[in-house]
Order: sequence, then C-alpha cells, then structure tokens
Amino acid sequence: METVTENPSYKLELTSSPHIHSRWSTQYAMWLVVISLIPAVITAVLIFEWYQLVIISVSIATAIGTESLIKYIRNRKLTINDGSGVITGLLLALILPPNFSLFGTVIGAVIAISLGKEVFGGLGYNIFNPALAGRAFLQASFPVAMTTWTIPNFAVDATTTATPLAAMKFDKIYTSFSPLFLGNIGGSIGETSALAVIIGGVFLIAMGVVNWRIPLSMLIGIVLFGGILWLIDPTKNPDPVFHIFSGGFLFGMFFMATDWVTSPITAKGMWIFGIGISLLVVLIRVYGGLPEGVMFSILFMNGFVPLINRFTQPKTFGAVK
Amino acid sequence: MKKQVTLLKEYTKGLWEINPVFKQVLGMCPTLAVTVSAINGIAMALATTFVLVLSSLIISIIRKLIPPQVRIASYIVIIATFVTIADLVMKAQFPELSKSLGPFIPLIVVNCLILGRAEAFASKNTPVRALFDSLGNGTGFLIVLFIIGSIREILGSGTILGFHIMPLTFEPWLIMILPAGAFLTLGLLMGLANFYVDHKKNKERESIIEKFRSSKQLPTIETEA
Amino acid sequence: MNNTTKMLITLGFIGIVAGGSLSFVNNWATPLIAANQKAETERAIFLVQPEAKSYERIDNLPFEAYKVFDENKTFVGYSLPYEGNGFQGKIRLMVGLSTDLNNIIAMEVLDQIETPGLGTKILEEPFKDQFKNLNSSSPIEWVKGSPPSKDNEIQAITGATISSKAIVAIINNGIEGLKKAELKGEEK
Repeated sequence: METVTENPSYKLELTSSPHIHSRWSTQYAMWLVVISLIPAVITAVLIFEWYQLVIISVSIATAIGTESLIKYIRNRKLTINDGSGVITGLLLALILPPNFSLFGTVIGAVIAISLGKEVFGGLGYNIFNPALAGRAFLQASFPVAMTTWTIPNFAVDATTTATPLAAMKFDKIYTSFSPLFLGNIGGSIGETSALAVIIGGVFLIAMGVVNWRIPLSMLIGIVLFGGILWLIDPTKNPDPVFHIFSGGFLFGMFFMATDWVTSPITAKGMWIFGIGISLLVVLIRVYGGLPEGVMFSILFMNGFVPLINRFTQPKTFGAVK
Repeated sequence: MKKQVTLLKEYTKGLWEINPVFKQVLGMCPTLAVTVSAINGIAMALATTFVLVLSSLIISIIRKLIPPQVRIASYIVIIATFVTIADLVMKAQFPELSKSLGPFIPLIVVNCLILGRAEAFASKNTPVRALFDSLGNGTGFLIVLFIIGSIREILGSGTILGFHIMPLTFEPWLIMILPAGAFLTLGLLMGLANFYVDHKKNKERESIIEKFRSSKQLPTIETEA
Repeated sequence: MNNTTKMLITLGFIGIVAGGSLSFVNNWATPLIAANQKAETERAIFLVQPEAKSYERIDNLPFEAYKVFDENKTFVGYSLPYEGNGFQGKIRLMVGLSTDLNNIIAMEVLDQIETPGLGTKILEEPFKDQFKNLNSSSPIEWVKGSPPSKDNEIQAITGATISSKAIVAIINNGIEGLKKAELKGEEK
C-alpha cells in the first residue's frame, strides 16, 4: 500500500519526531554485536576445527535469504541492512552443537527467521528471541543430533563427549575450572569458552549496546539460587561457579537475554527478568530432566516481558496514584 | 426470515465459507490433539461427522417439540447418545484406532462444533437443510483434519497413511508429532487462510476503486481503509 | 398443558429413547469389546513366551500374572504384565519368565508415552533383545556407555537413561512380587 509521503503530489516530506539523529542506529548496534562475537568464533575454530565456519556461513546466508524471501512475498521493504538477520544467523550457529548437519542448520535458520521473527511482523515485534526459537525447534525435532557433542581439540580425556552439565547431572563427574574457562570442553560451537564470551560481553556493555542490569541480575540470581542449593547439599548440587561457567549461561546472559526487542525496557523490569531467568536455569539444571536449561529459561521469561513492562512502568512525574 | 439459499450452498458453505476450523474456530481440541497422523485425523473427523449429522437431523426433526428452556439439555442428551454409540462401535470394530484416539472419542460430546451447529442451524431449519449443513461442516472438518494430520505425519514420521514417502536420509522432525507441532501447523494454516482471504479482499477493493477512478476521474487520494 | 410438565415430558421421552438405543448398542458391542481385549492380552502373553500354546491366570494375586503351557500342557513359564513410572508417564510391560523365575525369556513394551525419538527406543529390537535370556536370580542391573559384562546386566540407551532405568526397575519390582507370591505358595 502507498503511504502519504511516497505520493509524488506532495512536495514536503513529513516524518514524525525525533528529527535529530545520532550515530546510534539499529545498524550500528548490530555491527557492534557482530564484532563482539568474533572472539567466540575464533575459539570455536580453535577448539572444533574449520568446519564450524561453514555452519556459521550457512546459517547466516539462510537467515538473510529467508528474511528477503518473506519480505518479498509480503510485499514489504527489504530490511537486510539492519543486520538483525545476520545476528540471528550468527547467534543460532554459535548455539548449535559442533559439526551439526548443514540441512539441520538450514531448517533452524529458516524457522528462527520465519516463526521466530517474521510471523510477528518482523524486527521489533517478535516476542521470543529468534535464534533461541530456532534452536528450541531443532532441539524438539532432532533430540539426538542436538545432544551429540564433538570431542574438543585439546581434550585431556578423550573418552567422553558429554558436556560438563550432562556429566554432572547423569554421572556426577565434575569438570575443573580451567577447561570450563578456556572452553576445552564439550558444548555448543560458540559457548564453550567462557573467556571469549566474557571478552565479547564486556565489549558490548562498555560500548553501551546492552544494558548491564540484565547480566548483573542474572549473575546475582545464579549465585543466590545456585548457592542456596549448594549449601543445602554440596555433594549433590553443583556450586555457583560451576553454574556460571558451564553450558550456555554466560553466552545466554550476554547475547541472548540482552536482546533489545525481547527484554524489558524498565530498569526494575530488567532486574526481575534477569533474576527470573537464573532461578529457572538453576531449577531446570538441578531438578529438571534436561542437563541444560538456559535456552528454555530465556524463552520462558521472554514470554513474560510484556507483563513485566506493564507492571514496572515508572510513575509519571507528579502523578497521583 | 433471511433469504433461502440452495441446498447445494448449504453443503458447500461448510467447506470454506464457514469452515469449522478456519472460520468458526470450533472443535480445536480434537484438531490439535489427535492429528499426529492422517489416519487419526480421518477417523476423528468421521466419528465427529457421524455424531454431527445424526444429532443435527434428530434435533431438526423434533425442534418444534422441545421447549426452549430445556433445549440445551435435550441437545446434549441426544449428542451424548450418538457419541456413546460411536465410541462403542469403534471399540468393537476398530480397537486399534480406538486406542490411538483414546479419550478423544468420548470427548466429542463437548465438541463445540456439534452443539454450535445444533443451536445455530439445526434448531432453526428443516431436517433436509440441517442434513446438508451438517454434512458440509463435517466434510470441512474432515478436509482440515486430514491436511493437518498429513503435514504432521509427513514431517514428523516421514510417512503418509503409514506408507514411507520421504527419502531414507530424511530425519523426522519430531516436534511435529509433539503438541507444539500441532499448534505450529494449525497456526500457520490459519494464517495462510487469512492471508488468502485478505489478499482476495484487497484485490476486489482495488478493482472497485480502479473502476470508480476511471469512470469519475476523481482526485487520487487514498483514504485509510 | 403447563410448561413445566411439557419440559419434563420432553426430557423424559428423550432420555428413555436415548437409554433404550444405548442399551441395544451396548448389548451388541460388549461381547465384541471383551473379545478384543482378550485377544490383545493373549497376543501379549504369547509374544514373550514363544513356546506357549495356552495360558491360565494365577488367582489370588494383587496383580495380573499368567502361567503358560506348551502344546503338551506342560508348564513352561510365566507371563507377567507389570507397570511403573517411566520418564513421562506409565510404562506397561509384559515379561516372559522361566518356571523357576530365574531367567527372563523375553520382554515387550505394551504401553508407553516416552519422548519420541529418545525414550521410544525402548520399543526397538536392540534394546528389547538385551533382555532375552537375562539371569534374574538376583535383581537385574543396567550399565552405561559400555556393553554389559555380567549375565544380569543390560546397557542403557544413550540419551534415554531414565527410560532404560525405569524398565529395569519395573521388571525387578514385578519379578520380586511374583517370586514372593509364587514361592510362598510352593512352601505351603
């Protein structure tokens, strides 16, 4: 449909405020996110070989292709330039298991963009984090392939390919701190190295792309809830440090939970959101049937964001309740 | 009294115009729950149609005898009778099918589609019209359940009506035979149906505007629809 | 006729007709349904006892159990349907046992609602075949990651440890219950 401004009979172009532009744009922020993910990509190649780059490229290409196709079918303007498709593709690839099938990657990226984002009306309208939605679909569809982990390159003990969380949950084997920190463990392509993820995450916070409240509240939450369970029974429940550095917690904390569209906009809301995620992560990891729960926790809390926003709306100055 | 339409129209309207699933959005519970395979979808829809047609017919025949205060109670008793008959017949003749449909056959009693058609149509129309209307609705229900069941079976198990049709390398998308797959399939199909209807409406409107413009040469400012 | 009477008469009439037709259908269907159920039980009993030709239900047990006989009416073993909790819901099994209850002849899963693709591997041959000729004089056990080394061990399914464990637990409980009941009976 035509809009008024595109009608050639009008001489004056009408746009609503704001009229002052800063260097900040969706595009600028999105490219900063891409830069922040470079350390994770590099460590992924170091730990799991070059093939992971193929998965990443396929995922990004499919994401962009799907978005263009849907925009074309729906007769809307192309929005590839905003970089959100690239981010979704990149994030999705980084949370897949290493050496995942390319066909599966394509399905995941198509679902992430189409069902995760475009059915709601595109960027800004989606309720759930698109990359996580894509992964959740793959997890439910191919539970075996999605939990088949590759032995890391520098593995000391090559007999087990289980992730530290699975080893803890099913066999009560603890992984020591240094492999967890450097990433020399079984796990998704981009999430194993806590160091690389922290470098990227701190960069994002320093540049002001993501709000520090969500990561901080998640950290406090996991120390609190993980710590309580650990103090109750240290032999059965993992300590909070293990909770933080294992699985996808750090990756989800910096790159998934902080997604602009699917996290609360109020400061108070962000605290509720972050602590809620951590509570769910601890509950799923300790009492659930699955070893890891970061993905479901974030998706679950995503669903509460509209409610959280509504109940934490700051009072207008001078307003009487 | 509204204008009487042809008997054929009473039948065909159930296929698309007032399709039970896409347009009336009735009977969602069986639509979502039993459609893990095409055969389940067909069996469910046939059982529902059986109950729908016979109860509509009976209700239409005795519609003038039922006092309005007890009409819902009467409808439910009639519907429940036919549901129980359907359930017993399936248990006796098709035990396997009855087992895979589980409690959803007895639950046809509370399928809004049947009470909905009884209240909205059969209680106000002649038995012949009620027969055609319920047959049309049943067919519409059958088509949609078959489509949803087929999509879920093909993607979720790689088969259709039990026959392998996907290549051996195809790994089934297990999510499609889980409840989430039912919601995804139904949602996307409904979205497609609405998309198609919108598209058609837009085209019609544009052609009317076009005709109007070319005949009257009015200024071309588009107003908000 | 006043309105209340009319309502009562209508509802009463509909009720009588409905009840009448239902009892008619029920009379026709009941024997067929019973036959279906019997056929299903029989199929399951013989599935885990390949030599069996006839069976007989053991009375006075708190659960179902069957003695099975071969063509010469010789007692060849037990068929034991037993159920317990799996990962997502009830799992119902049929276990075939030797006459002294110390050997499992075969195991079949009758009903389950485990996770498709993972837990449902308990329905597949590689898993079920592990139970053939398993020594059940002591409770059977499961191992993970490596093939079983003892004659009362099975290997759990990768990714479905909970379902595998559940099956082992159900079988152990069932055998224990049957042993208690049957061996006590012999002592008398």
